[in-house]
Amino acid sequence: MTTLSASPTRMSTPARVGLHALLLFFSTIMLAPFAVMFVVSLLPNTAFLARDFSPANFSLNNYIRTFEAVPFGRYYLNSVVVSVSVTTVQILISSLAAFAFARLRFRGREAIFLFYLATLMIPFPVTLIPNFLIIKNFGWYDTYLALIVPGLFSVFSTFLLRQYYRGIPLDFDEAARMDGASSLRIWWQIIVPLSGPVLATLAIFVFQGVWNDFLWPLVVTTSENMRTIPVGLAAFVGQYSTAWDLLMAGSVIALLPVLVIYVLGQKWFVQGIALSGMGGR
Amino acid sequence: MTPLSPSHRPFRWRPDQQWEGYLFILPSFAGFLVFIVLAVVMSLGISFSEWGLTGFKNFAGLLNYRQLLRDPVFWQTFWNTAFYIVTIVPLQLALGLIMAVGLNQAIRGVTVYRLIYFMPVVTTIVAGAIVFRLLLATNGPVNNLLAAAFGLLGLPFSAPNWLGSSDFSKWSVVILTLWKNTGFTMVVYLAALQGVPKELYDAAHTDGANAWQRFRNVTLPLISPTTFFLFIFQMIGAFQLFTEPFVMTSGGPANSSLSVVQYIYLAAFRDIRMDKAAAMAWVLFIFIFAFTLFQNRMQKRWVHYESE
Amino acid sequence: MKLKRTLLLGALLLVSVLILSACTGIAPQAAAPSAGGEQVAAGEPVTITWAFWGSPEEAASHKIVADAFMAEHPEIKIEIWNQPWNDYFTKIQALWASGDSKVIPDVAFLWPTPRYAAEGVLENLDPFIEASGYDLNDYWPGLLESAKYEGSVYGFPRDIEVNVIYYNKDMFDAAGVAYPTDDWTWDDFLAAAEALTQKDANGMTTVYALAAEGGKWAKWVNQNNGAILDDYVNPSKCMLTDPASVGGVQFFADLMDQGYAMRPADLSQAGGDAAVFSSGQAAMILQNTSRVSAFNAAGMNYDVVPPPIPADGKRHNGAGGAAWVMSSGSDNKDAAWTFIQWLQSDGGGETIYTERGEIFPALQSVANSPAFMTDQPPANKQGIITEAAASDVGNFGYFPEWGELDGSIIGPGLEKIWAGEIDPETGLADICAQVDQFLADNGYPK
Repeated sequence: MTTLSASPTRMSTPARVGLHALLLFFSTIMLAPFAVMFVVSLLPNTAFLARDFSPANFSLNNYIRTFEAVPFGRYYLNSVVVSVSVTTVQILISSLAAFAFARLRFRGREAIFLFYLATLMIPFPVTLIPNFLIIKNFGWYDTYLALIVPGLFSVFSTFLLRQYYRGIPLDFDEAARMDGASSLRIWWQIIVPLSGPVLATLAIFVFQGVWNDFLWPLVVTTSENMRTIPVGLAAFVGQYSTAWDLLMAGSVIALLPVLVIYVLGQKWFVQGIALSGMGGR
Repeated sequence: MTPLSPSHRPFRWRPDQQWEGYLFILPSFAGFLVFIVLAVVMSLGISFSEWGLTGFKNFAGLLNYRQLLRDPVFWQTFWNTAFYIVTIVPLQLALGLIMAVGLNQAIRGVTVYRLIYFMPVVTTIVAGAIVFRLLLATNGPVNNLLAAAFGLLGLPFSAPNWLGSSDFSKWSVVILTLWKNTGFTMVVYLAALQGVPKELYDAAHTDGANAWQRFRNVTLPLISPTTFFLFIFQMIGAFQLFTEPFVMTSGGPANSSLSVVQYIYLAAFRDIRMDKAAAMAWVLFIFIFAFTLFQNRMQKRWVHYESE
Repeated sequence: MKLKRTLLLGALLLVSVLILSACTGIAPQAAAPSAGGEQVAAGEPVTITWAFWGSPEEAASHKIVADAFMAEHPEIKIEIWNQPWNDYFTKIQALWASGDSKVIPDVAFLWPTPRYAAEGVLENLDPFIEASGYDLNDYWPGLLESAKYEGSVYGFPRDIEVNVIYYNKDMFDAAGVAYPTDDWTWDDFLAAAEALTQKDANGMTTVYALAAEGGKWAKWVNQNNGAILDDYVNPSKCMLTDPASVGGVQFFADLMDQGYAMRPADLSQAGGDAAVFSSGQAAMILQNTSRVSAFNAAGMNYDVVPPPIPADGKRHNGAGGAAWVMSSGSDNKDAAWTFIQWLQSDGGGETIYTERGEIFPALQSVANSPAFMTDQPPANKQGIITEAAASDVGNFGYFPEWGELDGSIIGPGLEKIWAGEIDPETGLADICAQVDQFLADNGYPK
């Protein structure tokens, strides 16, 4: 991403003020839900419903009650275990396959890759039900395996990395082969280090997709101990449909760590998400 | 997209890399066979069967599909989904582009604005839906604000029941989705805008084009491939909307906000009709495929590709 | 550079180990709820698995029931399998789908029975009933229909939902309205509602006479001699366009239009009928007996009364309740039958649940016993029995596709009427057209 200073024309002062006003307006809309979430999470329900914002009402009580009512710690652990393992293993597996598709010469390569590409268009709902049945058949229902294993194989990641790997000059490989390096060594010591930035952005992209995924964990988990954050949060809504104080506290608990990480590493997040745009082109 | 373009040098099979190649793709291919290929085949099979709690019962031919075509709820969910597409996709493109153009200027605080606009994108949609349930409640903050605004203007105001009336429930889902996803559109557009060569603006400037003309005749055509990508991407996303209506309105009232994927979920896991659900998924796929193909054909008319 | 790579490699290794240990740590547990009848040796008790859903408080009652049974029947051991309500059905479906008798629960709590009987996972209880001479006449009229499939009994409803009017005596006193009597009519109800409803200057209701969930609508229809379907087991057509049915729906819709009754969407946003009744936002609610313990605990000044009936209508209570069923895949059917029979007997499970205030019993003998006739509020227990005696089919279909029909067509169609977006006559005509289509598509009448 190029620097932002290289913009077309300088602006006049009134235009600048107008632009800031517009951008601030958008900022308010984007931030208001977070602000409401936070404020309501500090108030008793009755005080919020009466719109009584006197300072005496504010407290962290709701957070204590929420933690007592819902095992958010466990949801967090599940989300971390699932997201980290899916992200790392998916990228490893995809990188290996992408390396072969881009740089090894074997019979059937193009045909298999075409087969991969043909499935890129298939939407998730088509595979949802059979995958649920497959998972049940394996005896993985309501386990980490159900949450993790189907996520390890991504045609999109493979495709994206293959495109990138094709851009690296083949001379690198051949020189290494002269020195007696194996393919595995070339992959791990030449290709992977050269693709650091693309791996990092892909990792963020995959991670945030898995972290926020809702439908699949909803379908394959049932016990409270296996819920990820989004599913746990949704179940929480079912139990406390109008207890706004608890719901908002729960939402803040679910969001805060991610938002903090995002603010600290926003450049990577933005690139990671924009990467899907690059993949499409 | 040129995945099959010729490699850097003449392509020859290397016998010594034959087994290596298979070994490298093995982990990926094994999972691909089970969770994608097998799943697709099973899904087709189920959609042509009578499939209950204990699995396969009978071969059913086209029965599930024929039932679907006559199922008014199914068509209602398609109508709802169409509404989501024609509202969410253009609004999001327009808002995202406005934000991106605003941030592509020489002003202070661009990084902070971008940080803020992108914040909902990393937010768990479930949490977003919960807050919007509160914001849009009949006696919630949004209606309070609207009432105050109407009061200032001296206009009569009857509070809309955002979540509980079939006139507004779809709009509630649209509002949540826009809040959540516009930041994404903005970031992709911003990247595209920064790729537009400065010289082209300078040339247009010397030709006496005003800001709007420069935007209309230089910027828009140059970023049209990005618009095309975002269009397809958001359309496919809107076709598969699930979490937003699921958490916010449960698809109600009167199925007025029920999405296709939500109905698939209900058929499979509430009504134990895996067969009907699989058939619906295939009809959805055909729709997505047809629309994408159609857009791909249409893109020649308005998408401008630089000759490379 | 080198250090960095080693670090990365180390991190990857760590993660893989974590994943592996996590997977192996969790996976075996999935197959855990088995421990079924395997260890049946001479002299050792037979073990049966007993599945139910419930909150921790409900689970405590189930535990007491299991202990009481085992004390009477040392030859049978009960293993409990408990899940929260929203997970119960998918989870138990997974157990049945596995086809493994070791994990399949022998006795389970279930609703709706016909749906599962049609899938072949439930045992037909007719032979057991015949062999043991179990008395079916003690059940409230129409109740067993909800647990029948193709004419055979597949389960025994544990309780019966008896919907009565709860009224706040303080609010009636404040409005100067006399307490209702067991024989009050719709007109009496409307007069009371008019007096109890409070509106602000803009005509918006601030205190409602009635808060009733949308799902309670069928009572008004049946009271008015209307019906949902012409036959609840093998339907051939929708009856909601019948003038009597329209009249029942109209009565409920009018209550909302006049501001006497809360619209169901507003009711759920306000936290449900128990919340608005406790906070004095509504003077009456229409609900089953499950609210009694909460209102007693809150020390509310209330009583119950049978719902009012129209001038030339009839008393009607839709008969239905979740039932105890036996899995067809059970490997200890005789022990399972012994347990079910004990559960559903006066002096057995029914009595314990009733004494603990969990249920209104499915058996008439238990309702008329001291287990139910306590001196706790509400005072008018006879009113509940009066309503229960008028139980009949009419609230549900008793065929496998009912859940889908109700969940996708009838329920959503009515939501439009309750929201005031469509008048009952037009709305019901829409619903009936779709219901008839659905029935034809699914091969009804069979």
